[in-house]
Amino acid sequence: MTPLLEQFLSEARDCLQGIAEKVMQLEKDPGSTVMMNELFRLVHTLKGNSGLFDFPEMTRVLHAGEDMMDAVRDGRISYSQELADRLLDAMDFVNLLVDEIAANNGEIGADYAQDALSLAELLRQLIGSETVVAVAVDNPPLALDPEASSDRPVPELPGLGALPEEQRMALYRDAQKGASLLLVEYTPDSECFFMGQDPFFQARQIPEAVWYSVRALEPWPQPAELDAYRCNLVFLALTTATPEQLYEHFRYTPEQIHIVPVPPIVLALPQGDTPEEPGGGSVYEDFVADALSRLEADDMSGLEAVIRTMQELCSPDLWLSSALRWLVLVLELEPDNRRAQRYLVESLSTLAAPLWSTLKPRVEAAGVDDQTFGEQALSEADARAFYDILQAQGEVLSLPDGDIWLPGRLNGVAAALAASHRAAGRNNILPMLETALADALAAGKAAPLRAWLQAQLPETDAAPATEAAKAVPLRNGLIEAEAESKFGRRAEDVYSGPKTLKVDQDKIDNLMALIGEMVVAKNSLPYLAGRAETQYGVRELARDIKNQYAVINRIAEEMQDVIMQVRMMPVSFIFQRFPRLVRDTSRKLGKEVNLVLEGETTEADKNIVEALADPLIHIVRNSLDHGIETPEIRRAAGKPEAGRLTIRASQEADRVYIEISDDGKGINPDIIKRNAYEKGIIDELTMERLTDQEAVNLVFAAGFSTATVISDLSGRGVGMDVVRNAVEKVNGTVTLDSEVGKGTRIRLSLPLSMAVTNVMIVESDRQIFGVPMDMVVETVRVPRKAVRTIKKRRTTVLRGRIVPLLALNDLLAIDAEPLANGDDQLATLVVRINDEHVGILVDDFRETVDIILKPMAGIIGGLPGYAGSALLGDGSVLMVLNPKELV
Amino acid sequence: MAITYQKKVAVFQDNVGVEEAEELLEWLIKNPKSKLNLDDCRHLHAANLQVIMAVKPAIAVWPKDAKLCVWLEAALNLKQGI
Repeated sequence: MTPLLEQFLSEARDCLQGIAEKVMQLEKDPGSTVMMNELFRLVHTLKGNSGLFDFPEMTRVLHAGEDMMDAVRDGRISYSQELADRLLDAMDFVNLLVDEIAANNGEIGADYAQDALSLAELLRQLIGSETVVAVAVDNPPLALDPEASSDRPVPELPGLGALPEEQRMALYRDAQKGASLLLVEYTPDSECFFMGQDPFFQARQIPEAVWYSVRALEPWPQPAELDAYRCNLVFLALTTATPEQLYEHFRYTPEQIHIVPVPPIVLALPQGDTPEEPGGGSVYEDFVADALSRLEADDMSGLEAVIRTMQELCSPDLWLSSALRWLVLVLELEPDNRRAQRYLVESLSTLAAPLWSTLKPRVEAAGVDDQTFGEQALSEADARAFYDILQAQGEVLSLPDGDIWLPGRLNGVAAALAASHRAAGRNNILPMLETALADALAAGKAAPLRAWLQAQLPETDAAPATEAAKAVPLRNGLIEAEAESKFGRRAEDVYSGPKTLKVDQDKIDNLMALIGEMVVAKNSLPYLAGRAETQYGVRELARDIKNQYAVINRIAEEMQDVIMQVRMMPVSFIFQRFPRLVRDTSRKLGKEVNLVLEGETTEADKNIVEALADPLIHIVRNSLDHGIETPEIRRAAGKPEAGRLTIRASQEADRVYIEISDDGKGINPDIIKRNAYEKGIIDELTMERLTDQEAVNLVFAAGFSTATVISDLSGRGVGMDVVRNAVEKVNGTVTLDSEVGKGTRIRLSLPLSMAVTNVMIVESDRQIFGVPMDMVVETVRVPRKAVRTIKKRRTTVLRGRIVPLLALNDLLAIDAEPLANGDDQLATLVVRINDEHVGILVDDFRETVDIILKPMAGIIGGLPGYAGSALLGDGSVLMVLNPKELV
Repeated sequence: MAITYQKKVAVFQDNVGVEEAEELLEWLIKNPKSKLNLDDCRHLHAANLQVIMAVKPAIAVWPKDAKLCVWLEAALNLKQGI
């Protein structure tokens, strides 16, 4: 699943929640236009978002919802309870789809197409647009039930006979075995050509199509009056595909197809040569008469024998033989379908294919043949009602017999039963009912009548029908009922928690602070172990404490990791504004710039990423303004006209690097030097002494600007120094290198996270201090003999480099000399400050610890020599030095 | 060009797109006795199909593509099997 989709799902859930809330609020205050607009906006947003993906079902429903809300907003229809219900139903459905997408790896099953369609219809019905009505009437969503075909005529399928007989017979066999045989009628929208559709192509791709045809929707006009771009086609196809496959195929236009199950008998179209001389006709007629009488008399074996004889007499190529083959097949597979069999036999006399479209549905045919008007004739609904009546009367009869009005009750029940049976066409059993009633009245008990009723009930076919009716709501019933049973799942019914939480940043920060304290608290355990051993002499306990410490340490570290990850966010968060910024700025400057973004997925702590935003904008603007030249200059310099600005993020160990490079004119150190001199930032001597690299770094000096004209982009002298300060505030560094004519590269190095700082503890004059580890280069013990004094300053040579030595005591104004160890060596902490190594003399080194650095606040916040303070495991406070300011 | 208009025959080639339909219709109206050569046609857009169905020009050569051929026959009501 793509991140975009994940985002969509999370947003969709929010939107749905919002829609539900707004609907609820509107129930209380139906007149509120603000709320209405808000609701519209939510539906609109959700629809728009869903359009990004391939979820036509979802978009369809939402689109209908949006249209409806639009109508409400414009006052074309009024907001009503019903409207709210339908909207909520639709949203429940969308919720269902969202879950489906989440569970199904970004896919929606095709089986939702129908539901989507009917829901969209329901919504549109409220608006009352005309297209809707046509669709709603024409597309009973459940017309796929084979039984449903009984009340619609068999469609005409011209040209079906062109299919080879073997193929049709095979299809017929399969269909009798339960394979689906569906007729798809695809009526594309008349404007569909303008929507880039090719209905013919779509129709050609109908899955498993065995027969197809195309006809005109309306009679063709004269060629001169024909509008070639108004679709007037209806495609028909007979397919063995399942309805699901078909809806999947037409999932973008489900309202344009009409699927009808086809009785397999339509395939029975005899084909073959017809005899030329009419003389043979008498033989045929005899056969037809014979076969028909046998059919009437139910003489199946006789009929088969006659057919076989006839088949032997005729050439298999004859039309007659073909018809006989079909007859045998139908007799074999559909022995009860008398009507069809008779049709086939009769067709022999005319030698014309049976017109299956005139064949009345099977159930009715059977009824006519039997000449009895049985209860089968009851429609499903009636059967159910009938059954219900019998049940109700049974309940009345089971009441206690003692009441004085029993005879009246018995008479009433009997009357009801008689009437219902008469209505159901069961006149034959009415006399029995009367005797039962007489018995019951005579005995003064309901029992005889109840016994009669009990005897009737099991016979009633309606009983199973009721269950069926309960399981599948009435087909002719309202679509609402359908909708209700299927997606009536309110959000509360099955609560699947949202996958993403929106958490206030303060809470995360709190969590962060707590885990920090936890880390500190955990650090006290080793102290405790140490005390247990040294002070109380219980080694066992000390070891146990250490073991426990290891466990807690592991958990705490994992916790810390997890919380860090929560705070991590990709740098793309700030990168995403650059394309626009670069485009606008370069347009304003009349330059052409290609922006290249790399490593957008690199993650860093939220604070770091946010702290980067402003410095990066400064740098990018600088590059655009000062770095990249105008197309003319670039062309003259032999560079491509469009400049290239690359912003690359990468991660190395625990630091994030962001590199902004351009291929512009670079920084000329001479100009910088002169400029800095003119502004009084450096004096003449320094100007002479500065290396090019150092000169280039002058751009970071406060108040420096090379631009001669102040534009709205840059030139105010508050550029790079602000950048450096901002980056250093989050413990980052900035380096800049530039080559005249080739371009400039600025590299920001930032910690991944600023929550935990690794510090080295040093001791001086019996006090301990922390020094951030990222500044420490090495710790060495310098023999006192190796210390030289140059111009009153102590220095030493380390690895071929002169390193100035400073005593921490001096820096902190402590009146004590650094202590040397037994070998007369001085503990020297070499730190890197602005790319120079400085040795700080301390009394001794201690361990390194992870601490949560708390910046100093209040009055001591003004002391620049300290970066902050931290709590140590034994409860003491550690002052963390800031060597940069101190030295 | 997916359709080449010769003197009396329009030759269809490959995939005939929707934009051809109007021209085809005009040409068929102008040359009422002309024929179509669909030999190399693999698919034609529904708009072209309906132009052919409405004007019913004679088909000189049926397409090689068997499935397309069946569709066209059905569309032009030829070979009615009954």
